[in-house]
Amino acid sequence: MEKKKKLFLVDDDAVFLKLLELEFLQLNEYVVETYPTGEACLVNLEHLPDVIILDYHLNGIHADAMNGMQTLDKIKGINSLIPVVMLSSQDQIEVAVDCMHHQAFDYVVKSETAFMRLQKILLAIFKYQKMEEQLNWYMERM
Amino acid sequence: MEMINRQEGQYARSLIEASRDPLVTISTEGKITDMNEALASITGMTRLQLTGTDFFDYFTEPQKAREVYQEVFAKGSVADSPLTLRHCNGKLTDVLFNGSVYKDDKGNVRGVVIVARDVTAQKLISKYSLSLIEASLDPLVTISPEGKITDMNQATVNITGITREKLTGTDFFDYFTEPQKAREVYQEVFAKGSVADSPLTLRHKEGKLTDVRFNGSVYRDDDGNVLGVVIVARDVTEQKKIATELLEAKVFAELATEIAEEAKSKAENATRIAEDAVKAKQQFLSNMSHEIRTPMNAIIGFTKVVLKTELSPKQQEYLSAIKISGDALIVLINDILDLAKVDSGKMSFMQAPFKMSLSISAMLHLFETKIQEKNLELITKYDQRIPDVLVGDPVRLHQIILNLVSNAVKFTNRGTITVSVNLIEEDEETATVEFAVKDTGIGIAENKLEKIFENFQQASSGTSRLYGGTGLGLAIVKQLVEPQGGSIHVESKMDEGTTFSFKLKFLKTKAHADIDEVGVELDEEVKSINVLVVEDIALNQLLMKTLLDDFGFGCELAENGKIAIDKLATGDYDVILMDLQMPEMNGFEATEYIRNTLKLQIPIIALTADVTTVDLAKCKAVGMNDYIAKPVDERLLYSKIIATIKKTAFAKGPKETVINVVKKERCINLKYLQDRTKSNPVLMLEMISLYLKQTPPLITEMKRSFLKKDWESMHSVVHKMIPSFSIVGIDKNFENMAKEIQAYVGAQQKANEISNLVAQLDQVCTQACLELEEESLLIKNNYA
Repeated sequence: MEKKKKLFLVDDDAVFLKLLELEFLQLNEYVVETYPTGEACLVNLEHLPDVIILDYHLNGIHADAMNGMQTLDKIKGINSLIPVVMLSSQDQIEVAVDCMHHQAFDYVVKSETAFMRLQKILLAIFKYQKMEEQLNWYMERM
Repeated sequence: MEMINRQEGQYARSLIEASRDPLVTISTEGKITDMNEALASITGMTRLQLTGTDFFDYFTEPQKAREVYQEVFAKGSVADSPLTLRHCNGKLTDVLFNGSVYKDDKGNVRGVVIVARDVTAQKLISKYSLSLIEASLDPLVTISPEGKITDMNQATVNITGITREKLTGTDFFDYFTEPQKAREVYQEVFAKGSVADSPLTLRHKEGKLTDVRFNGSVYRDDDGNVLGVVIVARDVTEQKKIATELLEAKVFAELATEIAEEAKSKAENATRIAEDAVKAKQQFLSNMSHEIRTPMNAIIGFTKVVLKTELSPKQQEYLSAIKISGDALIVLINDILDLAKVDSGKMSFMQAPFKMSLSISAMLHLFETKIQEKNLELITKYDQRIPDVLVGDPVRLHQIILNLVSNAVKFTNRGTITVSVNLIEEDEETATVEFAVKDTGIGIAENKLEKIFENFQQASSGTSRLYGGTGLGLAIVKQLVEPQGGSIHVESKMDEGTTFSFKLKFLKTKAHADIDEVGVELDEEVKSINVLVVEDIALNQLLMKTLLDDFGFGCELAENGKIAIDKLATGDYDVILMDLQMPEMNGFEATEYIRNTLKLQIPIIALTADVTTVDLAKCKAVGMNDYIAKPVDERLLYSKIIATIKKTAFAKGPKETVINVVKKERCINLKYLQDRTKSNPVLMLEMISLYLKQTPPLITEMKRSFLKKDWESMHSVVHKMIPSFSIVGIDKNFENMAKEIQAYVGAQQKANEISNLVAQLDQVCTQACLELEEESLLIKNNYA
């Protein structure tokens, strides 16, 4: 049995966060840790998540909290290899491009289909990682 | 002494005379000096003639005889020299010549005594065996220890194609295709004394090959010295040929079997294809009929509508013609569909309690006009002993009796039609009832009686021309009666009438039958009824609307179950007419949702295209109150609507208040959450409590930042709210409102609109919180 992948879900919208957590837990394929703020996420980065799903708007309730972009930059600063998927309720090209520029793996709009998209993206990430791993293995032996 | 000598001499003499072998004494000159009788008889000469003649003249080969004779003198004796004596008349006698010299007392050779043993008989025997050997078709060869041929038979000559002379003395092994192998076999003979059935091949000088089985054994002289080998080479060409033929025959047989199997599988394939074709045909017929029925319903329905408007007599006539043709076509299509269902085993029978007497009389009502038109009399005999309520399938029973009675009406021009229902048998659990429909019509010829229950059969080919009909009715009747364990009989006399009768067994029950749907009187009080018609086909929508308008009922249309549910949220309806087959959300799903999720008790009447399928049971199961078959009969529609509303109103009367509460528009819909959490109450409660905890501060913050015109804060608060709308199932409009606010705030304009939107969001969220608290209480109660 493969070790379960660890997910970080970071969102200050408790309802959405909970729902997302439930959905991932129901898949029974992931270990899920949830954090309401970017700060909490960063503190716990030593738990070594495989993927982080990060809300774009993390300062909706507390205006002085770190926002999603800042958190993303910090994460990448600590470990640039962790794939981060950004979440946003806004379906805007600027936001999407901004996320990409900050090395987010993908960008998902919060909607009824968000969970499904996330699931797909996760599978893509793992597949990509596996391929890269194999490629490295072969390259080393070349 | 002399005497004795003489006596002895005489005795020897008589012995000599008695011998059958010629005995002769010859002088040294070769002249015969004495002989016995045997020689005389073999040569055919008298003793006198013989005496003094040259002995050798009597042999066929005098020179050889002379040589033998000289040998006797030389060696003193000779043994078994073969010679041939000639009779004076030519007859030859083979003899073995044995001779020895005889001497006088002084040892002087006086002559030769010769015994010629007659070996004719012996020779005959050896000739006989030789001829046997010669006659053999198998080559026989004797070989010297050196491997040279010493003797052979004719078969050997034939097979090798070489003459005896040439064969003799040659190397035997040269005549085989594999000389080495032949030599080995030959050596084996010497080693073991014999060999059996060694396969070899002899070669004809012209190249023809003969397969032989090589059998050999050594032959020895009397002292046991090996003289050579006798070999019989059995010609197995024929055997081989036969074996080959046998093999070929076997191969042919196998091939034939293969071909036969192929043919069999082909036949099976063909059968399957044929069966598939039949199935496909039925399916096609069934599908086509179904497709035809929908537009036909519209045609008939609208014709009926138009018929009720003011028309000229001509128009009236033409429209009536359209309607009659349409009706006939619908009957045909329904018949075909019924049969297709029976054939494909899809026909199912309901087991529901029903009132037999009511059911029958209601059904016979339908024929009243027709019977009056034809000036016939309808007599109904109903056995009062039949239990009031029985369990069975009233729809099918209708269909059966309907078919029989309509036949009776069709084929009877004067007289009576008698429908009798009699109790035949009754025990504690079941009642067997016999139904009979008797007419005084044209009757059926006796030789046609067997055929009338087959598809597309009418008693005479002229019948359909005179009386119409498809010839399917009775086939259907039979197919409806027999699967229910019944049997149908017919008795008929030409020009006197026909009686159809069938028996069915029903279960008895103490349960009450549903109040019968047919025949509720029009009630003037019931007006201003609001009907929601859920129907996807535009023509049918229009038709229903026209009919309902005619009744003076209000009518709203919904294209599918989803839209219907949306409409139920806002509108107030008394009854729903629900089509079953619709895109998006079909009638069953919609009803289920209305009953289980919306918890509405509003009466629902199913509109179904075919009543023969399992759909009816399913209608009841999901909570529909009634059904009505298309094409919709307007009177039936009216009475069903009224009856259903009355029933529901009566039954649900005391619960009026509850219904009102439920009917109040809910702004939340927990379907999404139920789906996500798989209706897990713990998870549901968790989600709801999170929402209740998070939302009020957001609303407060939204209002606060609006008042303070803190647009940035406002933007992010509203932003935060957006995902939660869909989670608790708040209408999409509100989510859009929130997005609008965001857009306005971003552009910092339209403050008025924002104010309005904020108020609406405030209201809906507050209401949602209230409702969610109710829901969570409900869940807790149910869960506890």
